[in-house]
Amino acid sequence: MTMLASLKTSLNRDQLGEWLVIALTLSALLLGWGLRATVESRTMGFTADGITARVPAGWLWRLGSGMQVLHATDPASAGFSTTYNIETRPVVADAKPEQLVGVLSLERGQRLTAYRVLDQQPLIINGREAYKTTFVYVEANPTLTHKDLPSVVHGVDFVFINGSRAIIVTYEADENAYDTDFAEFRRFLDSITF
Amino acid sequence: MPDSPCCICGQPSTKTIRHRAFCEKHYATATRERPLAWRSLAAQIGGLVVFVAVIYGLQWIIQPIFTPTTLFFTGVALSLVPAFIWLSFFYQQDRVEPEPKGYVLGVFVLGGLLAAAVGAPLVNQVFRLSEWIYADPLTAILGNILIVGFTQEFLKYAAVRYTVYGLPEFDEATDGIIYATAAGLGYATVLNIQFIIASQGVDIGAGVFRIVVTALAQASFAGVVGYFLGRAKFEDEPVWWMPLGLSLAALGSGVFNWLRGQVTQGGGVTVSGSVATPWIALVLAVVVAVGITALVTWLIRRSIQLTLAEA
Repeated sequence: MTMLASLKTSLNRDQLGEWLVIALTLSALLLGWGLRATVESRTMGFTADGITARVPAGWLWRLGSGMQVLHATDPASAGFSTTYNIETRPVVADAKPEQLVGVLSLERGQRLTAYRVLDQQPLIINGREAYKTTFVYVEANPTLTHKDLPSVVHGVDFVFINGSRAIIVTYEADENAYDTDFAEFRRFLDSITF
Repeated sequence: MPDSPCCICGQPSTKTIRHRAFCEKHYATATRERPLAWRSLAAQIGGLVVFVAVIYGLQWIIQPIFTPTTLFFTGVALSLVPAFIWLSFFYQQDRVEPEPKGYVLGVFVLGGLLAAAVGAPLVNQVFRLSEWIYADPLTAILGNILIVGFTQEFLKYAAVRYTVYGLPEFDEATDGIIYATAAGLGYATVLNIQFIIASQGVDIGAGVFRIVVTALAQASFAGVVGYFLGRAKFEDEPVWWMPLGLSLAALGSGVFNWLRGQVTQGGGVTVSGSVATPWIALVLAVVVAVGITALVTWLIRRSIQLTLAEA
Protein backbone atom coordinates (compact mmCIF):
# COMPACT_ATOMS: atom_id res chain seq x y z
CA MET A 1 0.00 0.00 0.00
CA THR A 2 1.43 3.40 -0.94
CA MET A 3 1.65 6.23 1.59
CA LEU A 4 -1.12 8.09 -0.26
CA ALA A 5 -3.45 5.15 0.15
CA SER A 6 -2.39 4.93 3.79
CA LEU A 7 -3.20 8.62 4.29
CA LYS A 8 -6.61 8.13 2.67
CA THR A 9 -7.26 5.22 4.98
CA SER A 10 -6.28 7.38 7.95
CA LEU A 11 -8.59 10.19 6.85
CA ASN A 12 -11.45 7.74 6.39
CA ARG A 13 -10.70 6.35 9.82
CA ASP A 14 -10.77 9.90 11.28
CA GLN A 15 -14.12 10.57 9.67
CA LEU A 16 -15.51 7.27 10.85
CA GLY A 17 -14.25 8.02 14.36
CA GLU A 18 -15.94 11.41 14.17
CA TRP A 19 -19.26 9.84 13.22
CA LEU A 20 -18.82 7.26 15.95
CA VAL A 21 -18.44 10.07 18.51
CA ILE A 22 -21.71 11.61 17.32
CA ALA A 23 -23.47 8.23 17.32
CA LEU A 24 -22.12 7.45 20.79
CA THR A 25 -23.34 10.78 22.18
CA LEU A 26 -26.78 10.32 20.64
CA SER A 27 -26.94 6.77 22.01
CA ALA A 28 -26.01 8.00 25.49
CA LEU A 29 -28.73 10.66 25.33
CA LEU A 30 -31.27 8.10 24.11
CA LEU A 31 -30.34 5.81 27.00
CA GLY A 32 -30.68 8.83 29.30
CA TRP A 33 -34.14 9.46 27.89
CA GLY A 34 -35.04 5.83 28.56
CA LEU A 35 -33.69 6.12 32.09
CA ARG A 36 -35.87 9.17 32.69
CA ALA A 37 -38.94 7.39 31.33
CA THR A 38 -38.22 4.38 33.55
CA VAL A 39 -37.80 6.50 36.67
CA GLU A 40 -40.88 8.58 35.95
CA SER A 41 -43.02 5.54 35.32
CA ARG A 42 -42.12 3.94 38.66
CA THR A 43 -45.13 3.75 40.92
CA MET A 44 -46.13 2.69 44.41
CA GLY A 45 -49.39 0.91 45.06
CA PHE A 46 -51.90 1.69 47.79
CA THR A 47 -55.22 0.23 48.89
CA ALA A 48 -57.77 2.05 51.00
CA ASP A 49 -61.50 1.92 51.38
CA GLY A 50 -61.76 -0.75 48.68
CA ILE A 51 -59.94 1.42 46.17
CA THR A 52 -56.51 0.59 44.76
CA ALA A 53 -54.25 2.77 42.61
CA ARG A 54 -50.60 3.33 41.80
CA VAL A 55 -49.05 6.69 42.75
CA PRO A 56 -45.84 7.91 41.01
CA ALA A 57 -42.78 6.97 43.06
CA GLY A 58 -41.17 9.89 44.84
CA TRP A 59 -44.44 11.72 45.42
CA LEU A 60 -45.61 12.74 48.86
CA TRP A 61 -48.86 11.01 49.66
CA ARG A 62 -51.09 10.27 52.57
CA LEU A 63 -54.22 8.23 53.03
CA GLY A 64 -57.00 10.48 54.16
CA SER A 65 -59.69 10.14 56.74
CA GLY A 66 -63.43 10.54 56.27
CA MET A 67 -64.38 11.23 52.68
CA GLN A 68 -60.82 11.76 51.47
CA VAL A 69 -59.11 8.52 50.47
CA LEU A 70 -55.82 9.73 49.02
CA HIS A 71 -53.95 13.01 48.64
CA ALA A 72 -50.73 12.80 46.58
CA THR A 73 -48.42 15.70 45.67
CA ASP A 74 -45.43 15.96 43.35
CA PRO A 75 -42.72 17.69 45.40
CA ALA A 76 -40.67 18.44 42.28
CA SER A 77 -43.36 20.44 40.49
CA ALA A 78 -42.84 24.17 40.11
CA GLY A 79 -45.42 26.74 41.20
CA PHE A 80 -48.62 25.11 42.44
CA SER A 81 -47.75 21.51 43.29
CA THR A 82 -49.30 18.95 40.96
CA THR A 83 -51.83 17.03 43.06
CA TYR A 84 -53.95 13.89 42.72
CA ASN A 85 -56.88 13.48 45.05
CA ILE A 86 -59.37 10.65 45.53
CA GLU A 87 -62.43 11.15 47.68
CA THR A 88 -65.69 9.31 48.14
CA ARG A 89 -69.17 10.62 48.91
CA PRO A 90 -72.32 8.73 49.73
CA VAL A 91 -75.02 8.98 47.04
CA VAL A 92 -78.57 7.73 46.76
CA ALA A 93 -79.33 4.69 44.65
CA ASP A 94 -79.50 5.34 40.87
CA ALA A 95 -77.73 8.70 41.33
CA LYS A 96 -76.18 10.22 38.23
CA PRO A 97 -72.60 11.63 38.32
CA GLU A 98 -73.73 15.01 36.98
CA GLN A 99 -75.86 15.52 40.10
CA LEU A 100 -72.78 15.42 42.26
CA VAL A 101 -70.86 17.69 39.90
CA GLY A 102 -73.29 20.52 40.64
CA VAL A 103 -72.72 20.11 44.38
CA LEU A 104 -68.95 20.10 43.94
CA SER A 105 -69.04 23.27 41.85
CA LEU A 106 -71.14 25.09 44.44
CA GLU A 107 -68.78 24.09 47.24
CA ARG A 108 -65.68 25.15 45.35
CA GLY A 109 -67.23 28.36 44.14
CA GLN A 110 -67.64 29.43 47.77
CA ARG A 111 -64.22 28.24 48.88
CA LEU A 112 -61.88 29.06 45.97
CA THR A 113 -60.99 32.36 44.32
CA ALA A 114 -62.21 32.92 40.76
CA TYR A 115 -63.43 29.32 40.41
CA ARG A 116 -64.73 28.63 36.92
CA VAL A 117 -66.01 25.44 35.30
CA LEU A 118 -64.60 25.27 31.77
CA ASP A 119 -66.14 22.10 30.44
CA GLN A 120 -68.38 19.21 31.50
CA GLN A 121 -69.04 15.99 29.65
CA PRO A 122 -70.01 12.36 30.28
CA LEU A 123 -67.57 9.76 29.01
CA ILE A 124 -66.44 6.15 29.44
CA ILE A 125 -63.19 5.48 31.29
CA ASN A 126 -61.92 1.90 31.12
CA GLY A 127 -65.46 0.62 30.51
CA ARG A 128 -66.99 2.61 33.39
CA GLU A 129 -69.37 5.53 33.07
CA ALA A 130 -67.83 8.74 34.35
CA TYR A 131 -68.42 12.46 34.29
CA LYS A 132 -65.54 14.81 33.51
CA THR A 133 -65.44 18.42 34.74
CA THR A 134 -62.59 20.74 33.83
CA PHE A 135 -62.13 23.83 36.01
CA VAL A 136 -59.75 26.63 36.95
CA TYR A 137 -59.25 28.84 40.00
CA VAL A 138 -56.67 31.15 41.48
CA GLU A 139 -54.73 29.67 44.35
CA ALA A 140 -55.23 31.99 47.33
CA ASN A 141 -52.08 31.13 49.21
CA PRO A 142 -52.88 30.80 52.90
CA THR A 143 -49.26 31.51 53.90
CA LEU A 144 -48.93 35.27 54.26
CA THR A 145 -45.15 35.11 54.27
CA HIS A 146 -45.10 33.60 50.75
CA LYS A 147 -43.69 36.06 48.25
CA ASP A 148 -44.79 34.17 45.13
CA LEU A 149 -47.52 35.51 42.89
CA PRO A 150 -50.79 33.57 43.12
CA SER A 151 -50.94 30.65 40.67
CA VAL A 152 -53.70 29.87 38.24
CA VAL A 153 -54.64 26.25 38.94
CA HIS A 154 -56.06 24.09 36.17
CA GLY A 155 -57.88 20.95 37.27
CA VAL A 156 -60.17 18.14 36.26
CA ASP A 157 -62.56 15.86 38.16
CA PHE A 158 -63.61 12.39 37.08
CA VAL A 159 -66.69 11.27 38.97
CA PHE A 160 -67.64 7.56 39.07
CA ILE A 161 -70.69 6.03 40.73
CA ASN A 162 -69.91 2.81 42.60
CA GLY A 163 -73.06 1.46 44.28
CA SER A 164 -74.01 3.81 47.08
CA ARG A 165 -70.97 6.01 46.80
CA ALA A 166 -69.41 8.35 44.28
CA ILE A 167 -65.67 8.24 43.71
CA ILE A 168 -64.17 11.59 42.72
CA VAL A 169 -60.70 11.54 41.21
CA THR A 170 -59.22 15.04 40.91
CA TYR A 171 -56.10 16.26 39.14
CA GLU A 172 -54.85 19.80 39.81
CA ALA A 173 -51.73 21.45 38.41
CA ASP A 174 -50.22 24.83 37.69
CA GLU A 175 -51.70 26.04 34.40
CA ASN A 176 -48.22 25.84 32.82
CA ALA A 177 -47.76 22.20 33.88
CA TYR A 178 -51.31 20.94 33.31
CA ASP A 179 -50.91 19.65 29.77
CA THR A 180 -47.40 18.26 30.32
CA ASP A 181 -48.35 16.34 33.46
CA PHE A 182 -51.72 15.11 32.20
CA ALA A 183 -50.29 11.95 30.57
CA GLU A 184 -48.91 10.84 33.94
CA PHE A 185 -52.26 11.54 35.59
CA ARG A 186 -53.94 9.46 32.92
CA ARG A 187 -51.72 6.49 33.92
CA PHE A 188 -52.75 7.06 37.54
CA LEU A 189 -56.42 7.20 36.54
CA ASP A 190 -56.09 3.98 34.55
CA SER A 191 -54.50 2.25 37.57
CA ILE A 192 -57.50 2.89 39.83
CA THR A 193 -59.69 -0.09 40.60
CA PHE A 194 -62.69 -0.26 42.91
CA MET B 1 10.73 9.70 1.89
CA PRO B 2 6.91 9.54 2.18
CA ASP B 3 4.97 10.38 -0.98
CA SER B 4 2.00 12.04 0.78
CA PRO B 5 1.98 15.69 1.89
CA CYS B 6 2.38 16.88 5.48
CA CYS B 7 -0.88 16.19 7.35
CA ILE B 8 -0.67 19.63 9.00
CA CYS B 9 0.29 22.08 6.25
CA GLY B 10 0.10 20.08 2.99
CA GLN B 11 3.76 20.80 2.13
CA PRO B 12 6.02 17.97 0.91
CA SER B 13 6.74 15.62 3.77
CA THR B 14 9.99 14.10 4.91
CA LYS B 15 9.05 12.01 7.94
CA THR B 16 6.21 9.95 9.35
CA ILE B 17 4.80 9.25 12.79
CA ARG B 18 2.81 6.00 12.78
CA HIS B 19 1.75 6.36 9.12
CA ARG B 20 1.10 10.13 9.36
CA ALA B 21 3.34 12.20 7.08
CA PHE B 22 5.00 15.39 8.36
CA CYS B 23 7.28 18.07 6.96
CA GLU B 24 10.44 18.89 8.93
CA LYS B 25 8.85 21.82 10.73
CA HIS B 26 5.72 20.02 11.85
CA TYR B 27 7.58 16.84 12.73
CA ALA B 28 9.58 18.99 15.15
CA THR B 29 6.42 20.55 16.68
CA ALA B 30 4.59 17.23 16.88
CA THR B 31 7.43 15.62 18.82
CA ARG B 32 8.18 18.63 21.02
CA GLU B 33 7.63 18.32 24.74
CA ARG B 34 5.80 21.49 25.58
CA PRO B 35 5.12 22.24 29.24
CA LEU B 36 2.69 25.11 28.57
CA ALA B 37 -0.41 22.94 28.74
CA TRP B 38 0.28 21.28 32.07
CA ARG B 39 1.89 24.41 33.52
CA SER B 40 -1.20 26.49 32.79
CA LEU B 41 -3.43 23.76 34.26
CA ALA B 42 -1.23 23.51 37.36
CA ALA B 43 -1.26 27.29 37.71
CA GLN B 44 -5.02 27.19 37.34
CA ILE B 45 -5.36 24.72 40.21
CA GLY B 46 -3.02 26.68 42.49
CA GLY B 47 -4.51 30.02 41.49
CA LEU B 48 -8.05 28.88 42.19
CA VAL B 49 -7.17 27.51 45.63
CA VAL B 50 -5.56 30.86 46.48
CA PHE B 51 -8.60 32.64 45.05
CA VAL B 52 -10.96 30.69 47.33
CA ALA B 53 -8.74 31.38 50.36
CA VAL B 54 -8.57 35.11 49.58
CA ILE B 55 -12.31 35.54 49.03
CA TYR B 56 -13.18 33.45 52.06
CA GLY B 57 -10.65 35.35 54.19
CA LEU B 58 -11.86 38.74 52.94
CA GLN B 59 -15.44 37.84 53.68
CA TRP B 60 -14.50 36.74 57.18
CA ILE B 61 -12.47 39.90 57.89
CA ILE B 62 -14.61 42.57 56.18
CA GLN B 63 -18.01 40.88 56.52
CA PRO B 64 -19.44 42.96 53.67
CA ILE B 65 -23.12 43.81 53.49
CA PHE B 66 -24.53 43.43 49.99
CA THR B 67 -27.70 44.75 48.46
CA PRO B 68 -29.38 42.22 46.13
CA THR B 69 -27.94 44.10 43.13
CA THR B 70 -24.35 44.27 44.37
CA LEU B 71 -24.54 40.63 45.48
CA PHE B 72 -25.68 39.65 42.01
CA PHE B 73 -22.94 41.56 40.20
CA THR B 74 -20.29 40.37 42.66
CA GLY B 75 -21.36 36.79 41.95
CA VAL B 76 -21.17 37.31 38.19
CA ALA B 77 -17.73 38.93 38.52
CA LEU B 78 -16.48 36.03 40.65
CA SER B 79 -17.74 33.57 37.99
CA LEU B 80 -15.32 35.11 35.50
CA VAL B 81 -12.26 34.81 37.76
CA PRO B 82 -11.31 31.15 37.02
CA ALA B 83 -11.21 31.80 33.28
CA PHE B 84 -9.32 35.04 33.89
CA ILE B 85 -6.67 33.25 35.99
CA TRP B 86 -6.10 30.57 33.34
CA LEU B 87 -6.11 32.95 30.39
CA SER B 88 -3.78 35.46 32.07
CA PHE B 89 -1.27 32.73 32.96
CA PHE B 90 -1.61 31.28 29.50
CA TYR B 91 -0.93 34.60 27.80
CA GLN B 92 1.97 35.32 30.11
CA GLN B 93 3.57 31.96 29.19
CA ASP B 94 2.60 32.43 25.59
CA ARG B 95 5.32 35.02 25.06
CA VAL B 96 7.84 32.20 25.14
CA GLU B 97 5.78 29.59 23.25
CA PRO B 98 3.27 31.45 21.06
CA GLU B 99 -0.20 30.12 20.36
CA PRO B 100 -2.76 32.15 18.33
CA LYS B 101 -4.47 34.20 21.04
CA GLY B 102 -7.59 34.82 19.02
CA TYR B 103 -8.17 31.11 18.53
CA VAL B 104 -7.83 30.30 22.23
CA LEU B 105 -10.19 33.12 23.19
CA GLY B 106 -12.56 32.14 20.37
CA VAL B 107 -12.76 28.52 21.56
CA PHE B 108 -13.33 29.79 25.14
CA VAL B 109 -16.25 31.93 23.95
CA LEU B 110 -17.60 29.10 21.78
CA GLY B 111 -17.51 26.73 24.77
CA GLY B 112 -19.60 29.23 26.71
CA LEU B 113 -22.04 29.79 23.85
CA LEU B 114 -22.55 26.05 23.38
CA ALA B 115 -23.22 25.70 27.11
CA ALA B 116 -25.80 28.50 27.04
CA ALA B 117 -27.46 27.55 23.75
CA VAL B 118 -27.32 23.75 23.84
CA GLY B 119 -25.91 22.19 27.02
CA ALA B 120 -27.92 23.91 29.73
CA PRO B 121 -31.27 23.89 27.85
CA LEU B 122 -30.82 20.21 26.96
CA VAL B 123 -30.07 19.16 30.53
CA ASN B 124 -32.48 21.47 32.36
CA GLN B 125 -35.41 21.88 29.98
CA VAL B 126 -35.47 18.87 27.66
CA PHE B 127 -34.38 16.22 30.17
CA ARG B 128 -35.59 18.20 33.26
CA LEU B 129 -32.87 16.38 35.14
CA SER B 130 -33.41 17.87 38.59
CA GLU B 131 -36.98 16.51 38.67
CA TRP B 132 -36.04 12.82 38.61
CA ILE B 133 -32.31 12.26 38.94
CA TYR B 134 -32.34 12.00 42.74
CA ALA B 135 -34.71 9.00 42.72
CA ASP B 136 -31.90 6.66 43.85
CA PRO B 137 -28.07 6.54 43.72
CA LEU B 138 -27.88 4.37 40.57
CA THR B 139 -30.21 6.71 38.69
CA ALA B 140 -28.15 9.69 39.85
CA ILE B 141 -24.87 8.14 38.64
CA LEU B 142 -26.27 6.93 35.30
CA GLY B 143 -28.13 10.20 34.67
CA ASN B 144 -25.02 12.23 35.41
CA ILE B 145 -22.90 10.11 33.05
CA LEU B 146 -25.35 9.62 30.17
CA ILE B 147 -26.92 13.06 30.08
CA VAL B 148 -24.68 15.57 31.85
CA GLY B 149 -21.32 13.92 31.09
CA PHE B 150 -21.87 13.13 27.42
CA THR B 151 -23.56 16.46 26.69
CA GLN B 152 -20.81 18.52 28.29
CA GLU B 153 -17.87 16.57 26.92
CA PHE B 154 -19.31 16.30 23.41
CA LEU B 155 -19.87 20.07 23.26
CA LYS B 156 -16.30 20.76 24.39
CA TYR B 157 -15.08 18.24 21.80
CA ALA B 158 -17.20 19.93 19.12
CA ALA B 159 -15.90 23.39 20.08
CA VAL B 160 -12.39 22.20 19.21
CA ARG B 161 -12.97 19.53 16.55
CA TYR B 162 -15.05 21.70 14.22
CA THR B 163 -12.98 24.90 14.59
CA VAL B 164 -9.25 24.90 15.28
CA TYR B 165 -8.57 21.15 14.92
CA GLY B 166 -8.12 21.30 11.15
CA LEU B 167 -6.03 24.47 11.12
CA PRO B 168 -2.23 24.47 10.65
CA GLU B 169 -1.95 26.27 14.01
CA PHE B 170 -3.11 23.06 15.73
CA ASP B 171 0.36 21.61 15.28
CA GLU B 172 1.25 19.96 18.60
CA ALA B 173 -0.30 17.16 20.61
CA THR B 174 -0.62 19.48 23.62
CA ASP B 175 -2.72 21.92 21.56
CA GLY B 176 -5.66 19.56 22.07
CA ILE B 177 -5.40 20.07 25.82
CA ILE B 178 -4.97 23.84 25.55
CA TYR B 179 -7.98 24.38 23.29
CA ALA B 180 -10.22 21.87 25.08
CA THR B 181 -9.37 23.48 28.43
CA ALA B 182 -10.35 26.85 26.97
CA ALA B 183 -13.68 25.35 25.84
CA GLY B 184 -14.16 23.75 29.27
CA LEU B 185 -13.57 27.03 31.08
CA GLY B 186 -15.99 28.80 28.76
CA TYR B 187 -18.54 26.12 29.59
CA ALA B 188 -17.87 26.48 33.33
CA THR B 189 -18.15 30.26 33.20
CA VAL B 190 -21.62 30.07 31.66
CA LEU B 191 -22.76 27.40 34.15
CA ASN B 192 -21.57 29.59 37.03
CA ILE B 193 -23.22 32.73 35.69
CA GLN B 194 -26.48 30.84 35.16
CA PHE B 195 -26.27 29.57 38.75
CA ILE B 196 -25.80 33.13 40.05
CA ILE B 197 -28.72 34.40 37.94
CA ALA B 198 -30.99 31.53 39.03
CA SER B 199 -30.10 32.14 42.69
CA GLN B 200 -30.45 35.93 42.26
CA GLY B 201 -27.04 36.31 43.87
CA VAL B 202 -25.40 33.84 46.18
CA ASP B 203 -23.73 33.74 49.57
CA ILE B 204 -20.21 34.74 48.56
CA GLY B 205 -18.43 32.30 50.88
CA ALA B 206 -20.35 29.25 49.65
CA GLY B 207 -20.66 30.57 46.09
CA VAL B 208 -16.93 30.90 45.54
CA PHE B 209 -16.46 27.21 46.35
CA ARG B 210 -19.08 26.22 43.82
CA ILE B 211 -17.59 28.49 41.15
CA VAL B 212 -14.10 27.09 41.63
CA VAL B 213 -15.19 23.44 41.83
CA THR B 214 -17.19 23.79 38.60
CA ALA B 215 -14.28 25.46 36.82
CA LEU B 216 -11.75 22.86 37.96
CA ALA B 217 -13.98 19.95 36.99
CA GLN B 218 -14.88 21.34 33.57
CA ALA B 219 -11.28 22.20 32.75
CA SER B 220 -9.96 18.82 33.96
CA PHE B 221 -12.36 16.62 32.01
CA ALA B 222 -11.93 18.88 28.98
CA GLY B 223 -8.21 18.09 29.34
CA VAL B 224 -9.00 14.40 28.87
CA VAL B 225 -10.98 15.14 25.68
CA GLY B 226 -8.12 17.39 24.53
CA TYR B 227 -5.51 14.68 25.07
CA PHE B 228 -7.46 12.23 22.91
CA LEU B 229 -8.03 14.93 20.26
CA GLY B 230 -4.33 15.74 20.14
CA ARG B 231 -3.32 12.11 19.73
CA ALA B 232 -6.04 11.57 17.11
CA LYS B 233 -4.59 14.32 14.96
CA PHE B 234 -0.93 13.40 15.16
CA GLU B 235 -0.99 9.63 15.35
CA ASP B 236 -2.78 6.99 13.38
CA GLU B 237 -5.18 5.90 16.09
CA PRO B 238 -7.93 3.28 15.67
CA VAL B 239 -11.54 4.38 15.01
CA TRP B 240 -12.55 3.74 18.61
CA TRP B 241 -9.89 6.15 19.93
CA MET B 242 -11.95 9.33 20.09
CA PRO B 243 -15.19 7.58 21.21
CA LEU B 244 -13.11 6.01 24.00
CA GLY B 245 -11.75 9.43 25.01
CA LEU B 246 -15.20 10.99 25.07
CA SER B 247 -16.61 8.07 27.05
CA LEU B 248 -13.83 8.28 29.66
CA ALA B 249 -14.33 12.03 30.05
CA ALA B 250 -18.12 11.64 30.30
CA LEU B 251 -17.73 8.80 32.81
CA GLY B 252 -15.34 10.84 34.94
CA SER B 253 -17.47 13.96 34.70
CA GLY B 254 -20.66 12.09 35.60
CA VAL B 255 -19.16 10.26 38.55
CA PHE B 256 -17.55 13.49 39.77
CA ASN B 257 -20.88 15.35 39.62
CA TRP B 258 -22.56 12.60 41.63
CA LEU B 259 -19.71 12.41 44.14
CA ARG B 260 -19.71 16.17 44.57
CA GLY B 261 -23.40 16.03 45.41
CA GLN B 262 -22.75 13.24 47.91
CA VAL B 263 -19.90 14.92 49.77
CA THR B 264 -21.55 18.32 49.98
CA GLN B 265 -24.87 16.89 51.15
CA GLY B 266 -23.17 14.60 53.67
CA GLY B 267 -22.28 17.53 55.92
CA GLY B 268 -25.85 18.73 56.18
CA VAL B 269 -27.12 22.26 55.91
CA THR B 270 -26.38 25.14 58.26
CA VAL B 271 -29.06 27.28 59.88
CA SER B 272 -28.37 29.99 57.29
CA GLY B 273 -29.22 27.51 54.55
CA SER B 274 -25.75 27.10 53.09
CA VAL B 275 -24.10 23.72 52.60
CA ALA B 276 -21.92 22.95 55.62
CA THR B 277 -19.01 21.22 53.88
CA PRO B 278 -18.27 22.94 50.56
CA TRP B 279 -14.52 22.57 51.17
CA ILE B 280 -14.78 18.78 50.78
CA ALA B 281 -15.99 19.31 47.21
CA LEU B 282 -13.03 21.65 46.65
CA VAL B 283 -10.59 19.03 47.95
CA LEU B 284 -12.21 16.46 45.68
CA ALA B 285 -11.99 18.79 42.66
CA VAL B 286 -8.33 19.61 43.38
CA VAL B 287 -7.44 15.91 43.73
CA VAL B 288 -9.23 15.10 40.45
CA ALA B 289 -7.64 18.06 38.64
CA VAL B 290 -4.12 17.25 39.88
CA GLY B 291 -4.58 13.57 39.03
CA ILE B 292 -5.84 14.23 35.51
CA THR B 293 -3.17 16.85 34.80
CA ALA B 294 -0.41 14.50 35.97
CA LEU B 295 -1.80 11.55 34.02
CA VAL B 296 -2.30 13.46 30.78
CA THR B 297 1.15 15.05 31.03
CA TRP B 298 2.77 11.66 31.60
CA LEU B 299 0.86 10.11 28.68
CA ILE B 300 1.88 12.86 26.27
CA ARG B 301 5.51 12.70 27.37
CA ARG B 302 5.53 8.93 26.99
CA SER B 303 3.94 9.13 23.55
CA ILE B 304 6.54 11.64 22.33
CA GLN B 305 9.40 9.57 23.73
CA LEU B 306 8.07 6.46 22.01
CA THR B 307 7.76 8.35 18.71
CA LEU B 308 11.31 9.62 18.96
CA ALA B 309 12.60 6.18 19.89
CA GLU B 310 10.88 4.66 16.85
CA ALA B 311 12.40 7.36 14.63
